[in-house]
Amino acid sequence: MQQVTGIGLSRWASHLLAILSCAFTAMITQPLRELVDQANIVMLFLLTVALVAVWLGRKPAITASLVSIALFDFFFVSPRFSFAVNDAQYLITFAVMLMVALIIGHLTNGLRQSAIDAGEREQQTRALYALAQQLAGAVTAEQSTAYVQQFVSGHPQLGFRVLVPTSDEQLVLTGNTQHAISLTEMMVAKSVFTSGNAIEISDESPATLVLPLLGATRSRGVLLVDGQIATLRGQRALMEAVASLLATALDRLHFVEVAQQNRMQMLSERLRSSILAALSHDVRTPLTVLYGLADTLTLPQQQLPEAARQTACSIRDQAMRLNNMVNNLLDMARLHAGQVQLHKEWQPIEEVIGTSIRLSGADSQGHAVKVYLADNLPLIEFDAVLLERVFCNLIENAAKYSPPDSDIALSVTTEGQEAVVEVSNAGAGFAANKLKLVFEPFERGNAEGTVGGVGMGLAICRAVIEAHCGQISASNLAGARVRFTLPLGVPPVVEPEQEEAA
Amino acid sequence: MNTAEFSVLLVEDEKEIRRFVRQALEGDGCRVREAGTMAQGLSDATNDKPDLIILDLGLPDGDGVVFVQRLRSWSNIPVLVLSARTAEQSKIAVLDAGADDYLTKPFSVGELLARVRASLRRSRSGHMLESPVVQFGNIEVDLSRHLVSKDGLPVKLTAIELKLLSVLLANAGRVMTHRHLLRDVWGASHIESTHYLRIYVAHLRQKLEEDATQPVHFQTEIGIGYRFQY
Repeated sequence: MQQVTGIGLSRWASHLLAILSCAFTAMITQPLRELVDQANIVMLFLLTVALVAVWLGRKPAITASLVSIALFDFFFVSPRFSFAVNDAQYLITFAVMLMVALIIGHLTNGLRQSAIDAGEREQQTRALYALAQQLAGAVTAEQSTAYVQQFVSGHPQLGFRVLVPTSDEQLVLTGNTQHAISLTEMMVAKSVFTSGNAIEISDESPATLVLPLLGATRSRGVLLVDGQIATLRGQRALMEAVASLLATALDRLHFVEVAQQNRMQMLSERLRSSILAALSHDVRTPLTVLYGLADTLTLPQQQLPEAARQTACSIRDQAMRLNNMVNNLLDMARLHAGQVQLHKEWQPIEEVIGTSIRLSGADSQGHAVKVYLADNLPLIEFDAVLLERVFCNLIENAAKYSPPDSDIALSVTTEGQEAVVEVSNAGAGFAANKLKLVFEPFERGNAEGTVGGVGMGLAICRAVIEAHCGQISASNLAGARVRFTLPLGVPPVVEPEQEEAA
Repeated sequence: MNTAEFSVLLVEDEKEIRRFVRQALEGDGCRVREAGTMAQGLSDATNDKPDLIILDLGLPDGDGVVFVQRLRSWSNIPVLVLSARTAEQSKIAVLDAGADDYLTKPFSVGELLARVRASLRRSRSGHMLESPVVQFGNIEVDLSRHLVSKDGLPVKLTAIELKLLSVLLANAGRVMTHRHLLRDVWGASHIESTHYLRIYVAHLRQKLEEDATQPVHFQTEIGIGYRFQY
């Protein structure tokens, strides 16, 4: 503990001053010796000791009391000019004097120490407050760390390092640090980062205190403080305060970033949806014109030569194909942007199957669709428009890759809490190495590229089925087979009709 | 049916679409008047009182629902709506507002003419069946005596099934929204109970269709409603 004196003198000077004060007291009381009682002389010496204790502290006070005793004994107690004492009661005077010196010295010392402590604490608080203010204005993690390091430069016996997580949760050093991070420290830092509890590494020198930077929702990083173990323990509260300030700053930076990202995402989504809307209108209008005009040319009343009529038919069919591709691309873009709101309703699944078969035109290509439905299928909750796209795509695909005049099989059964739909054909099946890939956009299941298409259909199917919390898979069991599931749930109650005489 | 001597108002902003639609309708003997905006369309409809209006839903100057509502405040002129594929909600809204039918772009000329003829036929008959006895496929329905037979054998229908059948028959060829059918068959308080409607349509298909999974007469308009087709 450091030597404390009230007026900032060195140890020897304060003792000398104590001795001089006693000598001065002895000198001025010398003439009064005959006039006042010795008890009052003692009081003056006591006052001197008390003053020395207040001004100079405990040790000079002890010196003063000893010197006072000596002087009083020498000059005032008979026999004078000798240290011999005739009356034993003076021993009490001496003892009291010594005790007063000790007590006052101790008290003033304590007071002075706590005043100094309070001053230090105030300074620390002020520094922390300044740090908090700086951190509030920081705009990057590096800047925050730099502010902390600036703050820490007031504590030269301590070293600081800050680790922050990257986007893939790897901890990296930030700010200017003299030394890198050891493997042990990194392991401890990781466990502190995930657990949120501080750990002391004290088996090395200097020891390291690893503090988590706890944000509102999760750890924002780790603070490592290096120093002697005793210093670390003494300053732990301060370090924790710094850690929490830094955590708040990093937390704030994180949420600012999140808010900015959300804003960017919102803007880009708005852009995307307006591009989609524009595309779907601007592409479809000329396609409608193209299709309609070509179709007009094919009408018998146009009386075109057969070759020209064939050409018109071909233009019309290609326009329709292009339209279907645009539809698929737009659907995919919408589904991927998460913009599609499901209009789920409880309905019989065969209703969608019926319209899909009609729409897919499988019949006109010479492929009959054989539908097998399990008895008593319950109502299922789904978005009919989207599920129609799924069935259409699956039936069209099955027809596209079927041998001529072969049937397409479609079955719906239930398994536990799921409806299971299977669509299969008698075709060559998916390329074995692509079974897992066929649901990726732009992927085509069959290796030989003789059949047209951009490979969007199955990707749309997967997006729709997954939006319904179902699963879709492809296999080559007896031809190509796509199987998907839909959760059954609990359908609403339908009260039976009151039978009237009809 | 021959559409000769009927007048059609075509409200569509795209000139080229107007051109081929006009060509097709005139080829069928209709008189066609064109309007490029909704405002023009409304004033033409008021002045000329056409027999049919073909309305594009993507007009830049207004909402098709408002157009149909204002038209319906004074007239029963049938309205055939042209719309983009992904606009189910706006199709339902305009059909509920009183439009008679819709066509999704792109559409073939044959499809267009078939819808136009069906709309004109219904409007001429005033949405009334010409006779209480209706035949389709191998089914015969006598609505006055509540008798239904398939291949000459009687089929038993419940009261609601019969009511649903009669509403569909009265609007044959026309797309009926879920709301519309629920209101006509169950009453205004059941407009949200679409699962009832779906179950009863399924019953009709099971009893009257050859293959209930691939219906010929009771067709589903996905996301919108049903259409009865002879």
